[in-house]
Amino acid sequence: MRPSSDSDPKEFITAFFTSFSEDLLRDDEDPASIVDRYHTTDIIEIADGHRMDRDKLIAHTRPVRKNRPSSRMEVHEAVADGDRIAARYTLHVQQREKEFAMEVYFFGQFTDDGRMRRAHMLTRTVPAGGKGDQATALSNQGAPA
Amino acid sequence: MTTSTYTVIGMACGHCADAVTEELERVPGVTAVRVDVEADRVSVTSDQELDLAHVRAAVEEAGYELTAPRA
Repeated sequence: MRPSSDSDPKEFITAFFTSFSEDLLRDDEDPASIVDRYHTTDIIEIADGHRMDRDKLIAHTRPVRKNRPSSRMEVHEAVADGDRIAARYTLHVQQREKEFAMEVYFFGQFTDDGRMRRAHMLTRTVPAGGKGDQATALSNQGAPA
Repeated sequence: MTTSTYTVIGMACGHCADAVTEELERVPGVTAVRVDVEADRVSVTSDQELDLAHVRAAVEEAGYELTAPRA
């Protein structure tokens, strides 16, 4: 699934992260197989300056499976250019009796079959339960009634 | 006051660091926790000698894996 050719980038990015999480939490399938289904073996993700390669991604599936977060992804905007996607979204997460939300600024590169090759993300925590879309809220404030 | 350093596997971002810190700060005697996500390293400062089993339990409660104390 190439992001720019046959799918809306908003739908693509939502489906990518939602499906990856669901696969991790569905059963005890080898986490390496799941990670490899969604990422190239030379994947590099940099989140808030922290670099993650394939091994780190696989290791990170352990806390995900232990804490079993339920999450909802709200994509505010997404644009595709060739094999790259830029998106701004809010991730609403509930885990271990806690609720929190993260606003994410995402730049990613994907293969023709929809696997992630590179990603850079900046995140910030926003109030849980909110819309998490400050930019849209601000622009709406200035809009004529 | 003693500081011990541990290897913790599975941390990926600042939110992981927060989760590990929160659990470790509940361990009696712990006065400070410093996390280096990229190095898989957690330094715990305490005003008494910590029981490794308590440290391990806290890390596992957060969902992560403590492999071994670092030299």
